[in-house]
Amino acid sequence: MAKRTGVFVCHCGSNIAATVDCAKVAAELGKEETVVFSDDHVYMCSEPGQSAVANAIKDNKLDSVVISCCTPNLHEKTFRDVAQAAGISGFQCEIANIREQCAWVHKDKAEGTEKAIKISRSAVRRVRHNESLEPIKIPVTRRAMVVGGGIAGIQCALDLANAGLDVVLVEKQATIGGHMLQLSETFPTLDCSQCIISPKMVEVSKNPKVELMVYSEVQEVSGYVGNFKVKVLKKPTYVDPESCKICDDCASVCPTVVTNEYEHGLSQRRSIFIPYAQAIPATYTLDIEHCLGLNPIACGKCADACEAGAIDYDMQPKVVEVEVGAIVVATGFKLYGQDKMHEYGYGKFPDVLDGLQFERLLSASGPTGGQVLRPSDHKVPKSVVFIQCAGSRDPAEHCSWCSKICCMYTAKHAMLYKHHVPDGQSFIFYIDIRSGGKGYEEFVHRAVEQDDVMYLRGKVSRLYEEAGKLKVQGVDTISGQLVEIDADMVVLALAMEPSDGTAEIAKTLKIGLDKDGFLAEGHPKLKPVESVTAGIYLAGAAQGPKDIPETVSQASAAAAKVIGLLSKETLAHAPTVARVIPNLCTGCDMCVQACPYDAIKLSAAGKAQVNDVLCVGCGACSATCLRAAIEVRNTTPRQVYDMLTAALGG
Amino acid sequence: MVPDNSEAFQPKIVAFLCKWCSSAGSDLAGVSRMQYASNAVPITVNCSGGVSPLYIISAFSKGADGVLVSGCHPGDCHYMEGNYQARRKIYLLQKLVTFMGVEPERFQMSWVSAAEGAKYAKVMDEFTEQIRRLGPQTKLKARR
Amino acid sequence: MISIDDIRAKAKDLLDSGAVKAVIGYGRGTAGYMARPVFLSRPEEAEELTWDPSCVHNLALYLTEGGKCQSSKNLAENGPVAIFAKGCDSRGLVVLLQENYLRRQDIHVIGLSCEDGGVLDEYKLATALDGRTALHVTFADHGDFRVTTRDGEVRVKAQEVLADRCLECRTAHPVIHDTLFGEAQPRAFKDPFHALTAFEAEAKANGTLWAFWEKTMERCIRCYACRSVCPMCYCDECVVDSIQMAVAPDTTPEEKANRIKWIERSNTNADTFGYHLVRAMHLAGRCVDCGECERVCPVNIPLRLLNTKLEKEALDMFDYRVGFDADKPSLVSSFNDRDPNDFIR
Repeated sequence: MAKRTGVFVCHCGSNIAATVDCAKVAAELGKEETVVFSDDHVYMCSEPGQSAVANAIKDNKLDSVVISCCTPNLHEKTFRDVAQAAGISGFQCEIANIREQCAWVHKDKAEGTEKAIKISRSAVRRVRHNESLEPIKIPVTRRAMVVGGGIAGIQCALDLANAGLDVVLVEKQATIGGHMLQLSETFPTLDCSQCIISPKMVEVSKNPKVELMVYSEVQEVSGYVGNFKVKVLKKPTYVDPESCKICDDCASVCPTVVTNEYEHGLSQRRSIFIPYAQAIPATYTLDIEHCLGLNPIACGKCADACEAGAIDYDMQPKVVEVEVGAIVVATGFKLYGQDKMHEYGYGKFPDVLDGLQFERLLSASGPTGGQVLRPSDHKVPKSVVFIQCAGSRDPAEHCSWCSKICCMYTAKHAMLYKHHVPDGQSFIFYIDIRSGGKGYEEFVHRAVEQDDVMYLRGKVSRLYEEAGKLKVQGVDTISGQLVEIDADMVVLALAMEPSDGTAEIAKTLKIGLDKDGFLAEGHPKLKPVESVTAGIYLAGAAQGPKDIPETVSQASAAAAKVIGLLSKETLAHAPTVARVIPNLCTGCDMCVQACPYDAIKLSAAGKAQVNDVLCVGCGACSATCLRAAIEVRNTTPRQVYDMLTAALGG
Repeated sequence: MVPDNSEAFQPKIVAFLCKWCSSAGSDLAGVSRMQYASNAVPITVNCSGGVSPLYIISAFSKGADGVLVSGCHPGDCHYMEGNYQARRKIYLLQKLVTFMGVEPERFQMSWVSAAEGAKYAKVMDEFTEQIRRLGPQTKLKARR
Repeated sequence: MISIDDIRAKAKDLLDSGAVKAVIGYGRGTAGYMARPVFLSRPEEAEELTWDPSCVHNLALYLTEGGKCQSSKNLAENGPVAIFAKGCDSRGLVVLLQENYLRRQDIHVIGLSCEDGGVLDEYKLATALDGRTALHVTFADHGDFRVTTRDGEVRVKAQEVLADRCLECRTAHPVIHDTLFGEAQPRAFKDPFHALTAFEAEAKANGTLWAFWEKTMERCIRCYACRSVCPMCYCDECVVDSIQMAVAPDTTPEEKANRIKWIERSNTNADTFGYHLVRAMHLAGRCVDCGECERVCPVNIPLRLLNTKLEKEALDMFDYRVGFDADKPSLVSSFNDRDPNDFIR
């Protein structure tokens, strides 16, 4: 049966038509042997455009269509659905990208038109041998995993649980809560941070649908959307959370002293510790890295002291395998290393702090009980300099991006400082003030009007210690004067970076990173919470700097996507998978070895056999086979051969 | 070397782009309206690992003056390993083709990620210019 | 030194006891001194076997006759088969095992070590004999060959008439065997890949790579002798042969019409180069340098250069040795994080 292909060339307004003669492309394509209908249209993706395709299919008894338009990433699905609705298989519809890869990148109309013709012809020749495939139905595991237990992960887990889904929440640290738990108050309301997150943390721990795995890390992921298998390493805490009474008897006898990372180095803890009073799960944890040893000869004091008998030195690391249908990655952020700031002393000055350290000073449950004290001598600082953009907006030396939240939290810090030290004076060195959220602009004005914060527009060029004071040398560009301040304390608004382990988790999950190392979203405008991998979603600062309201929005958005995905009985798996030609196969095993998904096995008859559900159509098998005995449906060697001829002007 | 009459000679180039990284990078170059030489016609494949050496030889046989294969950076392949396999096969092919006396510059592999629109445009321009200087490919082109 | 009597006795014994159903070995040729492959099925036929420097053939080829499915079915039903294998040939057998072409239990490998010698090159022998006709060549001691000519016996230094590949060979001792004749002995006449490196150095220095291959490949008449004699070219349908097609009862006319003609049969450079490029690529990681392709080429194309080029790259760049480990994945379906990357933009 001779192929009957319809070609539709989109003008995309003037996006394509400005540099490609669409009518000419349509006319040229009309001359192709298998093209029985060829036309151009102003906006193919619009309702009239889509109808034109549907009608053409019916009126001309088309069995295949080629749409020459924008990138398939945008509208392949749109037009495949149109084809399907008009009665032909969606897989008989191919997109020729003549916009992003042609019209938008070439100014010369003659050149652009010629190239558009080649690209379109290539698609027509390809579709000649397309098969009318039907999606493969695969079952769905109605369980989700959330990686990261900060506010993003917590919100997402709660939304999923409330929708009736089973959720596994995996957190690397000994408690959930992330950075938000470390804050004292949040802008613009100066709400107590712990007061708003603690109830959510407790809710997570009590929700019967949520399985909480703290002190755990994702090790390996296999499978595909709807059917992931995740291996999680549960590190031993050596304390049974059910029995622990959080009485602190163990910590008081522990002989070791460790810098407390949960207090950002401002205080110490023991090897057996609880991160904060509000930690969830409410249990102590034994940090084996710093413990003298589990052998009773080495120490054993904590187990002796524990009246509840909650300490178990025999606990082993456990690897559990969890089957989930979708994964949300909410691994959060960290602050850029102070040790990289050569301008501000490489982090060597004890009274130069970062924003999170300052939060701990301000926090009533922090290392200083909420008093703002200099770490060096525990005196109250009377003048504090805040430096915004420490590391951000600096492509030459540090990070090129804006970290979004620093203008707001620096204003907050300055205000809270004034509330704590009424006779103190704060100075803020800034480049711009970015205060775009609800109530944010007014908040910054309050800082100036009510709390006497002095804003200086300029950067600090040098910072050094002299006679117990921090000499800050900067400039005020508005008055045009050099400024020198003798500060008691300096707080740096350091850039926000993806947290440690983000690159590794991205690799484990096969999701991308953007140029700055944050998790890459599917599309910068239209897919903010989807990763590039089907079934894996993103939420929170791991995807880019953002504040708490945005984080919570994203977390709920990701949850909504997961709920949508897992609400289906079955998922459709792309049928453009590999197919063996048994005639030619000699069972040499090369394709079996080449397949990254272990989707090919040798049958009892000694021929290669493809598992359609595991196969994702990458083509590694086809490229390796010496005998052309395996090919990917709808991207066969025959089709590539024909596309090459067309691409080279034949 | 074939004499270069670059006024008249427009190189015919085929670029195999992997769908997930390089083709997306090419799309980004388009979205950013970067301009580059129009000689390379893209053929989007699912993965650079799916590009058989046979396709490349066939491209030259059909008269391509240059062939580019572009995929995800090592470690970032959407299909995990495809680009590693491509790297190995294409290394061997390039060594062989060079050994038989075809200019190695006619056949290039590149890593372009979905975020590297600028790099894509640059690779296109540089490769096209490189091929223009080399002149038409005659050694493997079939005359039918 | 290997005793021919021992070889014959072993073959006879294997056939007598029914341990094997057939023996593939070397026998006296019918035209001149060159040995030829013999296929024995009765114990008394063992007397036909020979072992001398003219046993150049890679007998593994005969396991692949008739296409894979047929021959492996044959072997399974009619095997086991004993097969004589020199060092290089034994590596060829390993590659066939690697590719599941046959089962280990279907063959009884009789390994023949080349010890400190090898097999001869016909042209070199003719040159050394300077007009005299050789009737028979045997292994002598002290690294010599004994040549019986019409004018009497002549001794030639083995090194002068050894095949190029033997001069470079480092695997003269069989890597798999069920029976073994001969002892592994140290030997190093020339460096490995000597022919290739010498050629490359000269061609690169003079800029004559293309000129050389253009002139050389002009001679190629696409007789496909190289493909026919190669044990690794066992594909039912060669992808770069446009007129060959493996047709099954259910092959449709559309499939026949759509058969891709990657390379046509003309002997223009484009098609000839295409054929040789693809063949060399398909042999990467599989060619054991048995040298047969170069030997049988009627127009003396130095095919070993192409195949050893990729063999050397595989060894240098990917640490891949061909034909030692039947469980190892193939060269092109494996990869390493440290594979060369500099050639990539």
